[in-house]
Amino acid sequence: MSRSEERRQSREGGTDMKKLYIVLGVVAVIGIGAVGYSVGGGGGAVSAPVTVEGLDDVNRLVELAQGNTKGDENAPITVIEFGDFQCPGCQAFATQVKPQLELTYLESGNVKFVYYDWPIIEIHPHAFLAARASRCAADQGKYWEYHDLLFRNQARWATLPNAVGTFVEYSEELALDGGTFRSCLESDQHADVVTANMELGLQLGVRGTPTVLVEQGGAVRNMSNFDWPTLQQYLEEAIAPTPGA
Amino acid sequence: MLVSVLSLVGFFVALYLWAHNAGLTGPIVCGVGDCATVQSSVYAKIGPVPVSAIGVGGYVALFVLSLAGLQPRLRESRAISALLLGGSALGVAFSAYLTYLEAAVIEAWCQYCVASAIIITLIFFATLPEIGRLRARGT
Repeated sequence: MSRSEERRQSREGGTDMKKLYIVLGVVAVIGIGAVGYSVGGGGGAVSAPVTVEGLDDVNRLVELAQGNTKGDENAPITVIEFGDFQCPGCQAFATQVKPQLELTYLESGNVKFVYYDWPIIEIHPHAFLAARASRCAADQGKYWEYHDLLFRNQARWATLPNAVGTFVEYSEELALDGGTFRSCLESDQHADVVTANMELGLQLGVRGTPTVLVEQGGAVRNMSNFDWPTLQQYLEEAIAPTPGA
Repeated sequence: MLVSVLSLVGFFVALYLWAHNAGLTGPIVCGVGDCATVQSSVYAKIGPVPVSAIGVGGYVALFVLSLAGLQPRLRESRAISALLLGGSALGVAFSAYLTYLEAAVIEAWCQYCVASAIIITLIFFATLPEIGRLRARGT
């Protein structure tokens, strides 16, 4: 090969490499843009309390705050939990105590269970979003299924930088309409109710989670110890007819 | 050159899935198929390692090798030709296994996994001329 041919080939090779680098550059820009756009997706999902007018008015607060009830609405005794989906203690209550409560007292109609959201967002960044997610599931009739799924999988989603995608996947796992659920989650829906629940808890003296209260005939007792044997003993005494009555 | 471009495209496809797996993204965007089912299945990880992370590593390796093979000093390198050919063949085999899992075990399709399977297959075909080069350099 002559020197002029070598130079020509070298020039052509250099031109081809330049074209390649341009194509690679274009692919890289598109790829970085697409992946970058998806990171942090679900940004419209409200994950902190919102301003709700009138929460300092007790009537308005009671009207806006809403727990989710399981069991007979007319049951004479109510076990109330103020809980945080990201709190390990609440997970223990949900997976160890609540199933026994359901089996022993909810099915017989003696007790009903009411769960109020009380997310501690300072230490549990996904807790508010999880509370909203559970209410988005409630919109489609599967609050308790979603509630239980969140607690069962707490270890999986609690450490994620962004839990929106996982929460949507859980909705699909429960055969909810993923699109509707996603629209709900990526908005501020139910943020007012969760905020009101937090304020209600504060007004009732809740300072941590889980806070378990037992209400009977208007009297409320804060169960500082809510392991199953203690709670069961208390409920047995509450259900048992008063001697001589 | 085609291998470099395809590897880079494959890298971004795998990177998106990895970012989703790591919880860095919002809900997975899946126009066709059921990506959420595939990505939340037990087959989305091998031990603690997400399959998508293996994909990212594989595409990076193929990208670096393909670019290295284009450099004047390394154009005649048998090692690079062999690694490109072997690596892409391994990638096709792994993708075939994952595609089988989607079709027969998970019974759901993830469009990104299918896209990756197509990309690695194209890469494999694009590296086939390396066989001729290996033979020529071997004589």
